[in-house]
Amino acid sequence: MAGKIIADTLETGAGADISTSYVVNGSAKAWINFNGTGTIASRDSFSVSSISDNGTGDTTLTFSNAFNNADYVLNYTNGYGASTLFTSTAPTTTAARILGYATTTGTNQDRTYNLVALHGDLA
Amino acid sequence: MNTPEFQGTHLWDRLCWAKECLEPYQSDYRVVFEDSIDECAKILVPDPNWMACALQGGILPPVWVYHELAKDEAQPDFKKHTRGYLLHETEPMPAMTEEEAIEYLIMKDVPQSVWQTWDEGNRPKMAICKKEQLPSTREWRNAWRISDELAA
Repeated sequence: MAGKIIADTLETGAGADISTSYVVNGSAKAWINFNGTGTIASRDSFSVSSISDNGTGDTTLTFSNAFNNADYVLNYTNGYGASTLFTSTAPTTTAARILGYATTTGTNQDRTYNLVALHGDLA
Repeated sequence: MNTPEFQGTHLWDRLCWAKECLEPYQSDYRVVFEDSIDECAKILVPDPNWMACALQGGILPPVWVYHELAKDEAQPDFKKHTRGYLLHETEPMPAMTEEEAIEYLIMKDVPQSVWQTWDEGNRPKMAICKKEQLPSTREWRNAWRISDELAA
């Protein structure tokens, strides 16, 4: 690395301080914006090694850096008022399977914009 | 651009460096596989940022590291990883060709039950193809299967 800053706390001009661990722990450890139509494709991402198209509105994300356990938080939205769920496939420390489920039709749907962010501790 | 000496550096930090310094690489390869008779064919798409790391070299750990972590996770009493250091302290992989990167990705992200026995049985369970060889629309997506013609 070209440079390094080592600091245990961050302090504002007003004197309020916060541990840097709050910043590190609060950062998204993986994220992706992908197109779920046509041949699905990532627009941009971080710490994702691949996405697998499992069928209509059904996608598996696989991570480059494993999480410490499978109890991480996954935020997923794809707009259009659809709800989004984990499938019955339990998430693992290296992969999560997600569904874009449209409550209006009761079916999974392919969406143009799929936005996913994951928070948790890394292995 | 040369990769910094990363052995011992947390993988997340290496990925941060790659995200900042490397151009994403969009591979045309896709991996089609079937891991359940009850489900349609799945299509694995390599991530462009991950591909850039693989082609650059010196960033990604060897694939056996992921297999070791998967073994730990498969234990019934697994609560959290205790050997995460393997990701960070194992000597990173050297630069790969695009084809080598796809092989690595198959071993990392496709279920072992598929890639270890992909050509056994009555029909193939996996095929590597180019993006252009996939159906151009998603019509009947949930009924897609690998063609029996590949079994020849």
